[in-house]
Amino acid sequence: MPERRTVEVGGKRVRLLVGGHGPALLYLHGVGPDVDWIEAHERLAARFTVHLPAHPGFAESTGIEEVDGILDYVLHYVDLLGALGLAAAPVVGTSLGGWIAAELAALYPERVAKLVLVDAVGLWIDAVPLGELFGSSPPELARLLFHDQQHPIARMMNAITSLGQVPEELALEQMKAMEAAARVGWNPYLHDPKLEGRLPRVTAPTLVLWGRQDGLAPLAYGERWRDRIPGARLEVIEACGHLPPVERPEAFAAAVLSFLAS
Amino acid sequence: MKVFMFHLMPWAYLPSTYEGPAWVKCPNSFYDGRRGHELYNRYIDELIHAEALGFDGVCVNEHHANAYGNMPSPNLIASILARQTRRVRIAVVGNALPLYNPPTRVAEEFAMIDVISGGRLIAGMVVGGGPEYYSNGLNPAEARGRFYEAVDLILRCWSEPGPFAHTGRHYRIRYVNPWPTPLQKPHPPIWIPGAGSYETMDYVARRRWAYMGIPYFHKRVFKKNFDYFREACAKEGYAAAPEQMGWLVPVYVADTDARARAEFEPHLWHFAHRLLPGINISPPGYTSARSALKVLSAFGDFMLNVTSWGEIVDGAYAIVGSPTTVRERMVELAQWLGVGNVLVLLQLATLPADLTRRNMELFAQEVLPALRRLGPGASAEGAAAHA
Repeated sequence: MPERRTVEVGGKRVRLLVGGHGPALLYLHGVGPDVDWIEAHERLAARFTVHLPAHPGFAESTGIEEVDGILDYVLHYVDLLGALGLAAAPVVGTSLGGWIAAELAALYPERVAKLVLVDAVGLWIDAVPLGELFGSSPPELARLLFHDQQHPIARMMNAITSLGQVPEELALEQMKAMEAAARVGWNPYLHDPKLEGRLPRVTAPTLVLWGRQDGLAPLAYGERWRDRIPGARLEVIEACGHLPPVERPEAFAAAVLSFLAS
Repeated sequence: MKVFMFHLMPWAYLPSTYEGPAWVKCPNSFYDGRRGHELYNRYIDELIHAEALGFDGVCVNEHHANAYGNMPSPNLIASILARQTRRVRIAVVGNALPLYNPPTRVAEEFAMIDVISGGRLIAGMVVGGGPEYYSNGLNPAEARGRFYEAVDLILRCWSEPGPFAHTGRHYRIRYVNPWPTPLQKPHPPIWIPGAGSYETMDYVARRRWAYMGIPYFHKRVFKKNFDYFREACAKEGYAAAPEQMGWLVPVYVADTDARARAEFEPHLWHFAHRLLPGINISPPGYTSARSALKVLSAFGDFMLNVTSWGEIVDGAYAIVGSPTTVRERMVELAQWLGVGNVLVLLQLATLPADLTRRNMELFAQEVLPALRRLGPGASAEGAAAHA
């Protein structure tokens, strides 16, 4: 079980979960359940001291009022690395967290020792638009996010026909997360038009890890990251949607650990 | 009591095979300019006729990318009304301020309407409905911040001699100096519509403006919101005046209860089940999460989810019946709610021109005088039986 800390950075309070043994690893979560400590983190913690901060506006982290673009999140993590005394660290980012990680690696290449992008948003391909995160019903979202509709979380989402059925605390938590995501990703929609042109700046060895059946950010995005980041390698997880750490934690952790060990 | 006729200017020709939402994604290939030409001119004529019938005012509002109401620019309709009427108040409820950049545009256009009409504008300002944020690209998390800053800037345009500089978080203009300025001094009355979010009601109470309850809810939702608003005014150290509250409701009058229902019911269900779907989409960050939950919880009491005529009548989602029935019910409800403004929708969805005309005339002859006789201060203590 991880240790729960509160770190003050730039006037914001950050909820930070730290667990495991070995070198530090920074894990940047997405809009989904990996903001909390789950099996995937436990598996990474076998080899690394996993640092799982909640982005401002997520969980108990404060300071979302100051955030209105992805760059605010990027600078926040430069500051957090400083506060943790880490000159550089391997960074694993999923979905929204992958977007932040890619920006960080392009703008501050010296701070990212190795980069793992997992079903990351952040780019845009006209012919393959990203799925609708902000205007979908929970059952529609379940289809975008999960390959296996029998996964417990997918089943729960499929059972929701009105928000009134969701316990208030959970609904509030989810609405806060969506608001934070909207602050950085409403328009331009979940991407930074400048990022693709900056990716040649990335110096970190990079693994792009993708769920084959990702309906929110289809595999074409994984291929685009691989093509634009110098030396990047793409690995596809079969029978998996947008959330490999949630849907296929074992395959996810194995791929990440093997890449980081190489 | 002031009585206004409200018009949504709906699209009356959704194909019967279409089952999707009427908002955001409703294909605009359903729109037909020839039919639109007839509808706009008919609807404008209906609002102009309201003046001859003795209404105190007419109301228009702003919505985008939908079949429910075809007034993306209510100011265009209001400017026609400014010229084609002589006496009635023209209430634009309202302009969705965050969608105007810079919002000094609203200060300018409202001033034009006020000057052309000889000082008859009621200036409505609104955050904009949830669907507008999907169809206009604006970040809903910025909606309130932009709205509050825009309101302040517009009020400053109308109260402080220009030029002056505005340096805000969302808008920066070095020389603010709108011509014209309004005829009404210090400025036109301000109405803010809302669906019951705490922030909006607290804000309107603090500014001492008027709060218009957004319709299609059960009467108990209106009651709860107006009670909250009165409390919010009390917290600001004053008693809310009835003129600070407006109740918007669909109304249909025919010579008997049975005939009224027979003529109106199909149009009401078309409205509730074909034109409302999609209106309730709430983008993230648009209100505080707690307010969003409150508004969502009220959706059980929203006309979209009503399926029986008994519920329509009991919940006062619409007031339908003979002149006597409608008169008694409206007097009773206006007093119970404690409002000083009643805004009636006398045309709804597919309700055709002849029935709309007769509805307007019967309402004006048989109901409007009784409401007006209530005076400005409808009593909030009345009709406790509803509680």
